[in-house]
Amino acid sequence: MRFISIILGGVLTSNFIFMQYLGLCAFIGLSEQLETAVGMSAAVIFVMTFASTVAAAFEQFVLIPLGLQYLRTIAYILVIAGFVQLVEIFLKKTAPGLYKAMGIYLPLITTNCAVLGVALLNVTEEYDILWSTVNGMAGALGWSLAIVIFAGIRERWKFMNIPDVLKGFPLALVSTGLMSLGFLGFAGLFQGILK
Amino acid sequence: MNGKRSLLHDFTKGFIEENATFRMVIGMCPTLAVTTTVVNGFWMGIAVIFVLTFSNVLVSALRKVTPDQIRIPVFVILIATPVVIVELVMKAFMPDMYSILGVFVPLIVVNCIIIARSEAFAYRYPVMNSLMDGLGIGLGYTINLIVIGGIREFLGTGRIVLFSLGSFPARLLFDPMAVMLTPPGGFVTLGLLMAILNLVIKRSESKKAAREAAAHD
Amino acid sequence: MGEKLLVTSSPHLKGPKTVRGLMLDVILSLVPASIAAVVIFGPRSLTVILASVVSAVASEAIFEKAVKRDVTVNDLSAVITGLLLALTLPPGVRLYVPVVGSAFAVIVAKQIFGGLGTNFVNPALAGRAFVMAAWPLQLSSKWVAPFTFDAVSGSTPLAVLRSGQTAIPSISDILIGNRLGSLGETCVLALLLGASYLIARGVIDWRLPAGYIGAVFAGAWVFGKSGAYFQGDGLTAVLLGGVILGAFFMATDYVTSPVTGKGRLYMGIGAGIVTILIRLWGTYPEGVTYGILFMNLVTPLIDRFMVPRYYGYVHDVSLRRKARAAGRRA
Repeated sequence: MRFISIILGGVLTSNFIFMQYLGLCAFIGLSEQLETAVGMSAAVIFVMTFASTVAAAFEQFVLIPLGLQYLRTIAYILVIAGFVQLVEIFLKKTAPGLYKAMGIYLPLITTNCAVLGVALLNVTEEYDILWSTVNGMAGALGWSLAIVIFAGIRERWKFMNIPDVLKGFPLALVSTGLMSLGFLGFAGLFQGILK
Repeated sequence: MNGKRSLLHDFTKGFIEENATFRMVIGMCPTLAVTTTVVNGFWMGIAVIFVLTFSNVLVSALRKVTPDQIRIPVFVILIATPVVIVELVMKAFMPDMYSILGVFVPLIVVNCIIIARSEAFAYRYPVMNSLMDGLGIGLGYTINLIVIGGIREFLGTGRIVLFSLGSFPARLLFDPMAVMLTPPGGFVTLGLLMAILNLVIKRSESKKAAREAAAHD
Repeated sequence: MGEKLLVTSSPHLKGPKTVRGLMLDVILSLVPASIAAVVIFGPRSLTVILASVVSAVASEAIFEKAVKRDVTVNDLSAVITGLLLALTLPPGVRLYVPVVGSAFAVIVAKQIFGGLGTNFVNPALAGRAFVMAAWPLQLSSKWVAPFTFDAVSGSTPLAVLRSGQTAIPSISDILIGNRLGSLGETCVLALLLGASYLIARGVIDWRLPAGYIGAVFAGAWVFGKSGAYFQGDGLTAVLLGGVILGAFFMATDYVTSPVTGKGRLYMGIGAGIVTILIRLWGTYPEGVTYGILFMNLVTPLIDRFMVPRYYGYVHDVSLRRKARAAGRRA
């Protein structure tokens, strides 16, 4: 039950893009084509889920015992960067095809504020390692849903007569606003299901 | 490096020419998240000015001894240092503001603005220029936050609350639009502001071109 | 041979259907509901409708002039946006709500993308979602008592159901519109009249509303009663709220619904599912707006994955292989 509510929360009610403003740069930058969006989503889901695990583990086994919570920010960003680096090396060696496909997106994810963001949010919610992983995955799924939907919409813009001053970022931002207007309806959804 | 860059120019370019939000379109996440009020935007801006200037100076000072291959991780560590300082100072002296700004204070460490300035400027130019760059871009960004925050707060609550100086205007002039404080309102406001700014720049550029064409006659 | 052969590609439409003609059909189909609104809730209804329509048309004209495009108000699409938005509002709403809502709908949800045919969300619904978020009190309390025209701040039947009580009007009252509600949703009979006109004229595809209403009915029937399954009141769920208005008049907007028949069916079902989810477990008592808006967002993806059949395409794979082999041998 809690699993469902966290997933629904991350995807619908607290969608990382539409409700929490996390991961916007990559979202706007990589949503022009559906293939790119799907590729980035796969990378994001993988990294966010397991980076959350690693960060939560680091919190539990290193930061708390040593009382170093105030260094959390530095620690997390290094842990995440290190994790992504390891994943890159591992992929390069064992699955070069996959590495080539995902390779461009991986370094981008380190600066995706959604990854560090969800790791920090896990601490605020006081999730243990297991639920941090679930929450990381939920946030990533929500992010992916947002970018895939947006790519579908953006691909149609090639055929439209957009005024010059709006082309590019302004229209992307207004469209994101319209999309998040639609997502407002999901407020309170997972609380209701929990009952 | 071509000659000495004007220190003043490095400072002022952050306001319009290289405006972080509207021209470089960078660091968008906190921009939308904290602009629900003018005061929130202001303090986030101050934090960014501090971190950006500090990190620019550090990166610039160490630029000659930082190997190219590991420069990004080095940047991240040098940026994280002032971020931790800001976090601790805010937690100690402004706990309310710290909890309002929430996760976006530590997220300054992955804020594209700061990493981009380290990479594009501080790594290549002397310390004083980097200092000016950091101050200028940071200050320009703070102004962005205050303007966006002002619009959203005014339309969303009907008034702007300025620290303890009171709120302005005292009486509500219209039924406030709560949606402005929510994500949809934020996205649409920013998008429309950007479009309006584009329009203004386009008009001034075509006026300049018309003037130059007339001058040639 | 001096004759030129005119070759055009299918489909070959016969008949005088124009954009304006289609729009006129839609407006005509909404006339019964509009008249019902005035009869049931009084002349205020007409004021709200007019404010909305005028604002929509003016916004479109002003914006198109500002970006130096041809002014297209003659295609009547702005009129429909204004009319539809007005029909979703409570009768007693302050006039700035339809004015701002229509302006938002026409400018932000449609014109900045390039005008008719370019929007990705239903403009009227986007406008309604916007004013719902901007002035929630205006949209949840400015009701008017039917036939007496008194301002009332009670709860609509949908809100009553939401809070667990069961004192709702009878089915005949619901059909005629003798209850609290927004301008266009209350007189279900008038709506159904208009809807059958649209289906008869071939303007809308029946599969979309069928999917929508079916999904809402099924969802309400199975999950409607808390604590038990298959005991919910599906019929009431379909007749109350904006389901009829939304299913027939909003979700079916050509620009924001899928191209293929199957795709439309799925969109209807999807919108119905989201509507029921929100009604049963979300915060809002009404989920039609968001149900349709959400499916608007995924329509491009639906279209992407449902490539329509084209003339000459043989769906049966084995037949296709045989034909290809025969073609190679020839």
